Amino acid sequence: MLQFVVSGVAIGAVYGLIGMALAITFYVTRIINFAQGQMMMTTVMVTAEVCAAGYPTWAAALLGLGCACVLGVLSYLIAVRPILAFNRFSFGWLVSTLGFAVIVQNAAAYIWGPTSQAFPSMFRATSFHIFSAVMTGQQLLAIVTAVVLTVVFELVRRGTLFGKIGMATAADPEMATAVGVNTTVVAIIAFAVSALYAGVAGLLIGPTTFANPYLGDTFGTFGFIAMMIGGGTEKPIAAMFGGLLLGLCAEGANAMINSQASDWFPFIVLVVVLIVSPRGLFSAGSLFRSRGRVVAAAQG
Amino acid sequence: METERIEAPRATPALAGAGFRPRFRTIGLALFVAAYLAATALVAHSDLGVQSLVLVAAVFGVLAISLDLVAGMLGLYSLGQGGFFAIGAYFTTIVVNSLGWNVFLVLLIVLLIAGLIGLAVGAMSLRVSGLYFAITTFIFTLVLTVLATDLKITGGLQGLLGPAFPDFPEGLESLGTPVAWCVMLALLLCVGFVWSIRQSPLYPVLLAIRDAERFAEAAGARTSLIKIGVFGVSAAMAGGAGWLFSFLGVVSPGQFDWAVSLNILVMVLIGGINTTVGPVIGAAFVSMFPALVNINPWLQEMVYGALSILAVTLLPGGVMSLLRRVAAFAWSAPPQAEFAVSAINRADAPVEASLFRKFASANAVAAQARGSEPDYAVECRGVQFSYGTGLMVLRNVDLAVKRGDIHGLIGPNGSGKSTLANVIAGRLQPLAGSTLIKGMRLDGASPSKRAELGMRRTFQAAELVRELTPIQNVMVGLFSLKPRIIQRAAFWPLLRSGRRDMAWMEGRSREALEMVGAGAWVGRAVGDVPHGVEQLTQLASVCVAGPDIIVLDEPATGLSAREVDHLAEILTHLKGHGVTMIIIEHQTRFLFPLCDRVTVLNAGEVILTGTAEEVRAHPVVRQVYLGELDE
Repeated sequence: MLQFVVSGVAIGAVYGLIGMALAITFYVTRIINFAQGQMMMTTVMVTAEVCAAGYPTWAAALLGLGCACVLGVLSYLIAVRPILAFNRFSFGWLVSTLGFAVIVQNAAAYIWGPTSQAFPSMFRATSFHIFSAVMTGQQLLAIVTAVVLTVVFELVRRGTLFGKIGMATAADPEMATAVGVNTTVVAIIAFAVSALYAGVAGLLIGPTTFANPYLGDTFGTFGFIAMMIGGGTEKPIAAMFGGLLLGLCAEGANAMINSQASDWFPFIVLVVVLIVSPRGLFSAGSLFRSRGRVVAAAQG
Repeated sequence: METERIEAPRATPALAGAGFRPRFRTIGLALFVAAYLAATALVAHSDLGVQSLVLVAAVFGVLAISLDLVAGMLGLYSLGQGGFFAIGAYFTTIVVNSLGWNVFLVLLIVLLIAGLIGLAVGAMSLRVSGLYFAITTFIFTLVLTVLATDLKITGGLQGLLGPAFPDFPEGLESLGTPVAWCVMLALLLCVGFVWSIRQSPLYPVLLAIRDAERFAEAAGARTSLIKIGVFGVSAAMAGGAGWLFSFLGVVSPGQFDWAVSLNILVMVLIGGINTTVGPVIGAAFVSMFPALVNINPWLQEMVYGALSILAVTLLPGGVMSLLRRVAAFAWSAPPQAEFAVSAINRADAPVEASLFRKFASANAVAAQARGSEPDYAVECRGVQFSYGTGLMVLRNVDLAVKRGDIHGLIGPNGSGKSTLANVIAGRLQPLAGSTLIKGMRLDGASPSKRAELGMRRTFQAAELVRELTPIQNVMVGLFSLKPRIIQRAAFWPLLRSGRRDMAWMEGRSREALEMVGAGAWVGRAVGDVPHGVEQLTQLASVCVAGPDIIVLDEPATGLSAREVDHLAEILTHLKGHGVTMIIIEHQTRFLFPLCDRVTVLNAGEVILTGTAEEVRAHPVVRQVYLGELDE
C-alpha cells in the first residue's frame, strides 16, 4: 500500500514536471507545444551519448539540458511564432508543433537508432526504508527536485517583475507590447524554461526508462494528461498536482487491478475529471474551489 | 482567414459559381461528374498497388471533408475525427467478420452510432469552447486508441483483418473492383454534400456562428443546436470513412491514434481550410506522400514534418488560396484600388425611400392602421440583473415602449443600458422581473425565439462575417423566414424550391442594402469595407427580415456627422412604416429629435421617462448625464 504511494508520487513528480513544462508555454502563448515531450527525449539521448563517450555525468546532464533549451527556443521560433504573428487565434500551431515533434523524434531515431541505450544511473544504489516501503535515491531526488522547481516557479511568477510580465503577456499580448514588454523575449524565455523543466524530468526518469528516441511520445502524452487533470491551462502549478494525482492513479491501478492497468486507467481518470470539471481539478474556479466557496458562503 | 476573393469590379456574384449562367454551370457539373466516373472506372481496373494508393487517399479525403465541415465552417477544430474513424472501422470489421451482416446495413448502423456518439461528444465538449473543444476531442481519440489496443475483441496491437467487400451482381463484373467504385462514389457524395451546403443559405449562417455567434443568434439561429448537429454529421461522415477503410486491409490501433487526427488537420490546412476540394487535395498529398518520396522512413517522416510546418506558416490559406491567386493573376484581376476610390464616391448613396414599404412588417403596418390603441411593443417589469459579482447592474427597472415609437435609452457609461438591451433581446436572463414582447411574457426565451416573434437587434461593434460579402451577411437575417433551410442544405442546388428561395433571398438582401444606401458595396468582403458601411450592412441584415421591433445598441458610434444624418433618415423611414425601435445612444443631438420618449438610466435605476424636452429640462438628468453643474 505505502509502496505504491511512494513510487506513485515519484513518477507523478516526473509527469508533473512535463505537465508544468506544457503549462508554462501555454501560459504565455496560449498554445500547447506538442513537441514538449521531445525536449525531454533530447535531454535523455544527449546525456546518454555524452556519458557513453566518457565525460562525467554532471557535464553530460548539463549539455543535455542545454540542447533541450536550444530546441525549445527553436520550436518557438520555427513552429509557433510565424503562426501567431499571422493570426493569434489560429490553430495552425496544432500542426506545426506536431511537425516539429515529428522532425525531432525521427532525427533522433535516425541518429541513434530505434533501440534503447544505457543511461547513467545517479543515485540508484542508495535506498531508504520508510515504514514498510522502500524508496530509492532516484525517487527521492525526483520528489525533491519537483518540489523545488515548483516552488521556484511559483515564487518567480508571483514575486518578481518578470513573473508579472509573463502574466501580462498571457492575458493580453497586444496590451503588454503597448506598455513596453518585448513579448518575443518573454516567449523565448518561457520556451527555454519549459524545455528545462521537461529536460529535468528526463534526467529524473532516464535511469528507469533508459534512453530511447520514442520516450517523448509516451511522456509527452502523460504530461499532457497531468496538465489536463490538474487544470494547468489556467495555472501551471496545477499541472504538478495533476501529475502527482496521475502518478498515484497509475501506480495504484498497477498495484490494485493488474500490472497492465496503468496503460489505460489514467485515461479513465482523465475522462471522468473532464466530465465533472472540464477545466481541471486544481485550477481557479474549478470544482473544489467553487464548492469551498459555496460552503464558506453558507457558513458565513 | 482568406480575404482574397476573385470578384468582378461591378459587384455581381454573391456566391461562388453563381456568376456563371445556370446552363453553363449545369454543363460544367455534368462534365465534372462524367470525368470523375471515368477516372473511377480507370482506378477500378488498375492494379492493386495503384488502387490501394488512390482508395486510401480517397478515404482520407472523406475524413478531411468531415473535419473541414466543422473546422472550416464552424471553427471547431476537432481532433476526434480519428476516434470516429476508428469506431466505424472496428465496428464494421467485428460485426461483418463475426456476424456476417450485410455491409450496407452495417453502414447505416455505423453512420447512426458514430453520429450519436458525435452528438454526445459535441454536447459535452461544447460546454467549453475554442481550444478546449480541440483538447476534449483529442482526449476522446486518445481514449479510443487505448481501448483498441487493450481490448481483446479489437485484436490488440496487431489489429484485425478487415472484411471483404461483396462482389458486383452478375452482369456488372466488367466495371472492375467493386470497392473502388464504392469508395470513389462515397467521396463524390461527400464533396457534393459540402458543395451543396456552400451553395445554400445555411453557409453564411454557419460562418456567422463561427465568427459572430451573437449575430447568428439574434437572427433566429439556434447556434448551440446547430453546432452540435453539424458535429454529429461530421462524426457520422468520419464513421462512414471508417466503414470504407475496413475493406482496404488491416484495421489496427496505429491507424487511428491522435497523430492521425492531427494529420487530418494537416490535410485540411495544406489543401485550404473552408474550401470544397481543398481538403481532398490535401488528403491526396499527405496520404500519397510516403509512396512518392521513397527514402529512409525516418528521413521521410522528417521531410513530412518540415513540409507541414512550411505549409501552415508560409501558406495559411492552403493550396486553394495559391490556386486562386494564380487564377486571379492569369485572368488579370480587376484593378481593385480603382474600384475602391470610385466606390467611396458612391458610398453615401441616397436612402431608397421607395424600398421601405417593401420591407415593412405586415404586423407593424396593421397595428399602425388600427390607430393609437394603448398597445406596448416591449415592456420590462421590475427587471433585476447582476453579473454575479454582487453588484446589481439593473435594479427594479420598469420600461414600457409603445408600439410604433422610437424609444431612446440614455445614461452614463456603466449605467446598465447595454445590459438592459441584452435582457430585452434575451441574451441575458433577469434575476427577477419579466420582459414582455407584444404583451407576451417571455421568461427564459432565447434570442432566436425572440427573432421569430419579429424582434431584431444590432450590436455596438458590428458583428459580421468579414470574409463574406454584405449580401451574404444580410442573408443571415433572413434565416428564420424560410422553412427547413437546415434540412434542405444537404441537397440545396438540386431542389427547385432551393434555387427559387436562394434567388429570392439574394434579391431581397440586395434590395435591403440598396434601401439603406449601401448598394455600391455588395460585391466586396465585409472585411474590406469602411466602418460606416459595416454599420449599414448590420442595419440591412436587421431590416431585411421586416421586424416590428428593433433594438439598436449605439448605432451612431464611430460614424461621421454625414453618416449620422444618413442613419437618422433611415430610422425615420422605418418609423414611418410602423417599426418600434429602442435606441441606446450617447449622442443626444442625434437621438432626441428622433425619439418619442426617452428613458434615463443611472446606476441601474430608471431616473425618468419622458419626452425629449422633459428629459432635457430635468435637473437631475442635466446633472448626472448631460454633465452640467448646478446653475
